Amino acid sequence: MSEVSGQFRTLLPRESLLWVFAAQFVVLLPHFAHLPSWLIFAWFLAVLWRIEVFRGRRAVPGRAIKLLAVSLAVAGLALTYRRWFALEPMVALLAVSFTLKNIELLSRRDAVLSLMLAYFLAATLFVFEQTIPYALYGVLCLVVITAALVAQQGSGSARIGRALGLSVKILAQAVPVMLILFVVMPRLGPLWAVPNNTSAASTGISDSMSPGDFSRLSKSDKPALRISFDGSVPPPEQRYWRGLVYTHFDGRRWSEPGVTGNRWFGRRFRNTQSGQENDGRLPAVGPRYRYQVIQEASHNPWLFALAISDSDTRGVRSTGDDTLVYHMPVGSRLAYDVRSWPRESVTAGPGLSPAEERRHLQLPEEGNPQARAWAEARRREGMDSQAISQSLLALYNRSFTYTLKPPALGADTVDEFMFDTQQGFCEHFANSYVFTMRAAGVPARVVAGYQGGEWVEQEEYLLVRQYDAHAWAEIWLPERGWVRVDPTAAVAPERIRDGLQSAVTEEFMQDALLPLHKFNILNRLRLQWDMINYRWYQTVVSFDADRQQGLLKRWLGEISPLRMAMLLGVPVAVGLLGLLVWLNLSARGPALPPASRAYLRFCQRMARAGLPRRSGEAPGDFARRIERELPALGPMAARITVAYERAAYTDSKGALKQLRRLVRGFWPLRQLAKLGAAPAPHQSVGQ
Amino acid sequence: MLEKISFKAVSDNSEAGGLLQQRWLRWLNRRLPPASTVTLNHRKLFVLPTAAGMGFLLLIVLLWLLGTNYENNLVLALVFMLVGVFVILPVHTFANLSGLKLRLQEVEPAFAGDFGRAKIVLEKTGKRSHERVRLCWPPEEGALVDIIDSEPTEVTLELPLIRRGKVRAPRIRVESRFPAGLFKCWSWVDLDVEFLVYPQPRSAGPLPWGASVGEGDQEKTHSAGGDDFAGLKSYQAGDSLRHVAWKQFAGGRDLYSKEYASGSDARLWLDWDLLAGRELETRLSNLCAWVLEAERAQVAYGLRIPGQALAPAIGAAHRQKALTLLALFPVQGVSS
Repeated sequence: MSEVSGQFRTLLPRESLLWVFAAQFVVLLPHFAHLPSWLIFAWFLAVLWRIEVFRGRRAVPGRAIKLLAVSLAVAGLALTYRRWFALEPMVALLAVSFTLKNIELLSRRDAVLSLMLAYFLAATLFVFEQTIPYALYGVLCLVVITAALVAQQGSGSARIGRALGLSVKILAQAVPVMLILFVVMPRLGPLWAVPNNTSAASTGISDSMSPGDFSRLSKSDKPALRISFDGSVPPPEQRYWRGLVYTHFDGRRWSEPGVTGNRWFGRRFRNTQSGQENDGRLPAVGPRYRYQVIQEASHNPWLFALAISDSDTRGVRSTGDDTLVYHMPVGSRLAYDVRSWPRESVTAGPGLSPAEERRHLQLPEEGNPQARAWAEARRREGMDSQAISQSLLALYNRSFTYTLKPPALGADTVDEFMFDTQQGFCEHFANSYVFTMRAAGVPARVVAGYQGGEWVEQEEYLLVRQYDAHAWAEIWLPERGWVRVDPTAAVAPERIRDGLQSAVTEEFMQDALLPLHKFNILNRLRLQWDMINYRWYQTVVSFDADRQQGLLKRWLGEISPLRMAMLLGVPVAVGLLGLLVWLNLSARGPALPPASRAYLRFCQRMARAGLPRRSGEAPGDFARRIERELPALGPMAARITVAYERAAYTDSKGALKQLRRLVRGFWPLRQLAKLGAAPAPHQSVGQ
Repeated sequence: MLEKISFKAVSDNSEAGGLLQQRWLRWLNRRLPPASTVTLNHRKLFVLPTAAGMGFLLLIVLLWLLGTNYENNLVLALVFMLVGVFVILPVHTFANLSGLKLRLQEVEPAFAGDFGRAKIVLEKTGKRSHERVRLCWPPEEGALVDIIDSEPTEVTLELPLIRRGKVRAPRIRVESRFPAGLFKCWSWVDLDVEFLVYPQPRSAGPLPWGASVGEGDQEKTHSAGGDDFAGLKSYQAGDSLRHVAWKQFAGGRDLYSKEYASGSDARLWLDWDLLAGRELETRLSNLCAWVLEAERAQVAYGLRIPGQALAPAIGAAHRQKALTLLALFPVQGVSS
């Protein structure tokens, strides 16, 4: 059949227009941070233009102006974004389409299209951030856009309170559906490669280490990792979360030549997709830690785990240096499951290959002669690797200080630190230790990661913050393989045991704008907030296919079609039932006064006795008619009618009571049957 | 018989004809039989997504792809939320129309080529209000009303009329897209609207004074407003307002009409045979024009068509009688 014409073709009234702009603004606001400024300016200009058009001060832009606007926007995008296959250009493109659509926002159809774009843009917000504040803001976006959609109906719906109220009502009713689908809908995993958020600077531990890097990190109390254990928890002195291994030293900077961005040297990959069974190195039984790490976005590919670890999480691979990497930079919060075997439980491998040995003994041609000489001297004294390490650590212990504010170092960083300043942070110790050990001919490497963490009792997880960033060393002992040595522990054992804060009480977070960590209550509040965040990640953000299976198994016992159907069917049935009840209740008119209800019951019984009340017949007339046609019932009917009139018009409780009593005892069919004057045989049904 | 007419009327107003259409209408007639009062309920209402609703569905699919590809649970949650909205909206849209009572109040007669007007009273039967309800005879715009208070609301619908006679109006489309415009809920209601359509007035020259072939003697008194005041008679509906005795009415007495001697003596006959040689419909149109002109000139007139005759008189009641005769004149003519 033909459509109702004109519903879409009508010009937009003022309220509709303002609602669309409001929805656009709410959605664009958080994107202002990364959108180019010309685009924001263009959006405001387009809105102003459209308002001017509405007020009749300006004409709707002609074809030439529109063409100009489109080409300007395309040129702007092309100049702003070099790479098209990324997230920001996509968002910018959506924002541009908003802007261009605004100047020809004429019909209801345009408005609806614009609001659909707004929904999409609101969703892209979550690709950038998945924190609780953003989620709440997303809900606000949803409410405003839906309200704008409702307001497009015009008239009363466009009032602010009414539109928002309706929107909240609709969304609230959609929540149960959302919850069910969230739990039940299978997560398929990426269908094709998608562009990532590239603009964000990487945070945390970087791909190289030079003096000062880690003391910079120590100023940040942002969470880095949250680790929950399945089974035993390693003691504090074992909590070394290895992230990166640096083997190359250029005299000042330690780095890993193989790692540039997210590309690693293929040759160093251990083939782990098949697990430890093929590898043979990791035992199938024996002590091990099982845990899940939730890592904050670092925009780097490396992950953090105890030594020697393995992971079954998709996209996570192990490297030859016993670290874990992700297949792409971690652009948003990532959860991965890890199993770790303590080094002691793993039999050492066959020994270092010559290439590996070269790699772990590499030193610059010259520089730091004092340190080299010291190492040479130890060697000449006939010490073995372990003894050299011991004497070096003893040296640190004797005369070095651990501080967050070490003096600046010149060209020969190791020499100056070891023989001059003797004050430093973890990277200074790791740097000088590995250099000296290499100079003594012991294969050694710097390991960067996090050490320690704060145990959150209520939720049972370990919270590792950025200031837990740490650098330590590993040396190769032929009989034991790689052995962890933490030179910092020789100077400040409390750093390892109790964390940074107790090691450098005075200096800790000194530069912070507000020394919040000094107030106990604030610390507790911050911990509470982190717990809420942790819950949020655990339950919502990292709810993947595995967790879904786990949850469904926990609920249903086993996942069978019948049980799934029940899980889906029961809420649906309950929902439908509720809907029916609501539809029925709201379809009823206002409730009748009690006297009328009682009288209506009387009329129903009269109808059953074969004498229905005519529509519009006054109660008095009806009573007289009963008297006439069924004299047997006459007196009773008259009494009821009198009682009804009194109850209805005098508002007395006694009259109502009497009316009810009379009606309760009024059974016309029975009375007629007793008198043998039943009007029709088929109606003499017992009551 | 009635149904056949209603098919015709519908197919007059919507071009698409054909077998399918007829079956659909027959089904509708069974499901929603004509009645002057109709309360919309689940048996009478249909709900489907609009074009915007289909767009919304596409949006859901695209967002699901986004959420799945980025493995982003918040995007997926938003998608599921929108699915929830899409599931819950048809209920709202349905509830917005369900329980609405439509009652045909009045149908005004009209001339062919003009609009027929039907007054329809809308009323709610429950607590639910009915917003943004559009009533129309497609492709007409119709009326857009909100029924929020318990007071009945009256709307006037207009239908363009082409043919004279008794015209059954097609079904009225009652539609609402409230609250979000993503779904439309509608019904095709037959309120038993029947228009009495007079022929389209088409002038055939001046009134045929004296040309009548009738039996009356041809007096020359053609002024109905002659000065021979004959007396007062009590006012009857249909009497010309010009003849009302306003002075007496203003004095607090009942309404009276003045009677004029000359008025009753008029011998103007609007005769079918005067227009011999013209087509049947043209003749009716011409007669119609004469009737109107005679009324305007306040001249008593008689009407003579094959098989029927109307004695000379004047006034709204007489006019209506004459026009009704013309309107209902058989299409095939009278064979005699």
